[in-house]
Amino acid sequence: MVRNPKEIVTEGISEFGNGRERIMQILTKVNSELSYVPSEAIEAIAEATNVSAAEVYSVVSFYSFFSSKPRGRNIVRLCSTISCAMAGQGDILRSLIDEFGIEPFETTGDGRLTLETTPCIGLCDQAPAMLVNGEPHVKLTPEKACEIVRGLE
Amino acid sequence: MEKKVLLAENQPEFGAGLEKALNMTPADVVYEVRDSGMKGRGGAGFPTGVKWNLAGAASSDVKYVICNADEGEPGTFKDRLLIEKYSERLIEGMAMGGYAIGGSCGIIYLRAEYPYLIPVLERARQNFLDRGLLGKNIRGSGFDFDIEIRPGAGAYVCGEETSLIESLEGKRGEPRNKPPYPVNSGYLDKPTIVNNVETFCAVPHIILNGSEWYTDLGVGDCTGTKLFSVSGDVERPGVYELPMGAPLKDLLELAGAEDIQAVQVGGASGATVPASGINRTLSFKDLPPGGSVIVFDSTINMVDVLENFMDFFVHESCGQCTPCREGNLRLMHAAQDIINGDLCCKACMAPYFELAEAMKISSKCGLGQTSANCFVDIVNNFVELSDECHCGEYRCEGGDE
Ligand SMILES: Cc1cc2nc3c(=O)[nH]c(=O)nc-3n(C[C@H](O)[C@H](O)[C@H](O)COP(=O)(O)O)c2cc1C
Ligand code: SF4
Ligand code: FES
Repeated sequence: MVRNPKEIVTEGISEFGNGRERIMQILTKVNSELSYVPSEAIEAIAEATNVSAAEVYSVVSFYSFFSSKPRGRNIVRLCSTISCAMAGQGDILRSLIDEFGIEPFETTGDGRLTLETTPCIGLCDQAPAMLVNGEPHVKLTPEKACEIVRGLE
Repeated sequence: MEKKVLLAENQPEFGAGLEKALNMTPADVVYEVRDSGMKGRGGAGFPTGVKWNLAGAASSDVKYVICNADEGEPGTFKDRLLIEKYSERLIEGMAMGGYAIGGSCGIIYLRAEYPYLIPVLERARQNFLDRGLLGKNIRGSGFDFDIEIRPGAGAYVCGEETSLIESLEGKRGEPRNKPPYPVNSGYLDKPTIVNNVETFCAVPHIILNGSEWYTDLGVGDCTGTKLFSVSGDVERPGVYELPMGAPLKDLLELAGAEDIQAVQVGGASGATVPASGINRTLSFKDLPPGGSVIVFDSTINMVDVLENFMDFFVHESCGQCTPCREGNLRLMHAAQDIINGDLCCKACMAPYFELAEAMKISSKCGLGQTSANCFVDIVNNFVELSDECHCGEYRCEGGDE
C-alpha cells in the first residue's frame, strides 16, 4: 500500500518536530518511502514548518538523493568514481543498461527500477560498488550486479 | 612502522576517557587537547584544542557539538570503518567535546550513502545511555549530553562545515561567508564545534594517555597517528594507521603497491604525485594527509583520471560562485580536449593555469579553492605539451594549422 504523502509528512512532524531544522529529516522520510518527494509533500512540509513551498522545493532540488519526480520502487546507485572505474565499473554499467533497457537516471516502464550513477560511496576498498535502496553491494562483476538487480521486487 | 591507536587491537574500555574527563575541569580537557597539537582530521587541519577553546569561551547557554560524518572525498572510507567498529569511541569523544565547551547537544551528520550505519550508531548510543554515559547528569557530574543522528542527502559540499550547518537547518547546502565562524555562531546561530569522526575518536585516547604521549607518536609538530584509506591499484586496499609525518612509501608498502605511475594523496583536491614522489611525507607540511590515497599503475591514462575528477567537481559545485561553477566546467572540457588531441601545446594550456589560479584565490569555499589542484598536478606531471601549437585553429590565435 502506497501511503498518502501528507500522512507521511504528518507522521514525520510528530516524530521530528515542525522546526525548519527538521526539513531534511522529513524529506528523507518521504523520499525513502515513496522513492521521491511529491508536490503534495512539499506543500505539507512548507505549511507545517512555515517556510515557502518554493524554498522547500529548492532544498529538494539541491540534493542528489532527493527527487521531485517519481522514480522506481528500487533505486540502484552505481559508483562512477575512479577507484570503481578502474575496477571495471564501466562494464557493469553497460550490462545493466543492456539488460534492463534504461540509461542512468531513467526508470523502467513498470516502475520497478531506477538506475543512477553516483560519485564515490565510500566502499572503494571493495570496488566496484553500488547501493541498492541504500544497501551496499561490493566487488561486483557484470553478472553479479545484474543478478542482484534481477532479484528486486 | 605502523603505530596503531585508533585501530589498536587492545582498546581502552569505551567510556573510560569520558569518565576521566569528567573528573577534570572543562578547561583542563581543552588544554590537554590543545597541548596534544592534534589538528583536525577532516582535511583542513585546524588545531582541535584551539577550536574548542574558542567555543568554550563563547557565552551561550546552548552550544552544539557536531560530528562531520559526511565523508564525501572520493577515495575516503576511514570514517565508515571507525563508525562500523568504534561508534562508542566516537560518541565518547563527542561527549567529551560537549563537556569541554559547555554544550549538551550532539549531532552526527551522516552522509546519505551510509544508511546502514544508522542502526550501528543507534545501538552505540543506547549502550551508552544504558551505562549512564549519556543522558542527564552523567555519572553524577551534573553534565548532560545526548546525541542525535541526522541524515545528509547526497551532496559532497555538505562536508564543508558551514554548508553542513545550513543543511542541518533545513536549507540548501551552500557554504556561508566567514566570519562569523561556527565557534561563535554556528547551528541555529549558537556556538558550535564541527569536527571529523576521526578527530572525535582520537580525543579519548589523548585524555587517557596524556598530550605528551600523543605528540611522541608523530613527527615534529605533526602529532599523533592518522588513518589513510587506500584504494586503486594495490594488493591490499583498506584503512591503515601511520604516525603523522610518515613517508608515503611506508603506506604504499603496507597496502602492496607494486607498479606505481602516480599516487593521489588527500583526495581529488589534494596532490597527485608521480612515482618519484614516494619518499615525500604524509603531513600538513608536505603531502596533505587527508583520508584518501589512490594508487594508479602504469596502464592508467592520467588524463582519464583527471576527467573523472573534474566531472565530480562540476557535479558537486554548489554553484554559488562563478569561478567554481564555471571554472570546473572549463577544466573538465580542457581535460576532454587533451584526450581528443585538441589541446596539446604550452601556449594553449596557459589560460587554463591562469583559470586554476583564479579559482584558487577567488572561490568562496574549499571546494572551488582546491578543485583545480588535480588539473595542475596531472597536466604538469603527466601530459607532454609541445612548444609549437598543433591544437587546431579554433583554439590558438596565431596557430600554425
Ligand atoms: C568541499 C569540502 C568538503 C569537506 N568534506 C568534509 C568531510 O566529508 N568530512 C570532514 O570531516 N570534513 C570535511 N571538510 C572539512 C570541514 O569543512 C571542516 O574543516 C571539518 O569538518 C572540521 O573538522 P576537523 O577540524 O575535525 O577536521 C570539507 C571541506 C570542504 C571545503
Ligand atoms: S567554491 Fe564552489 S562549492 Fe564553494 S561556495 Fe563557491 S560555488 Fe559553492
Ligand atoms: S570510488 Fe567507488 S566507492 Fe569510492
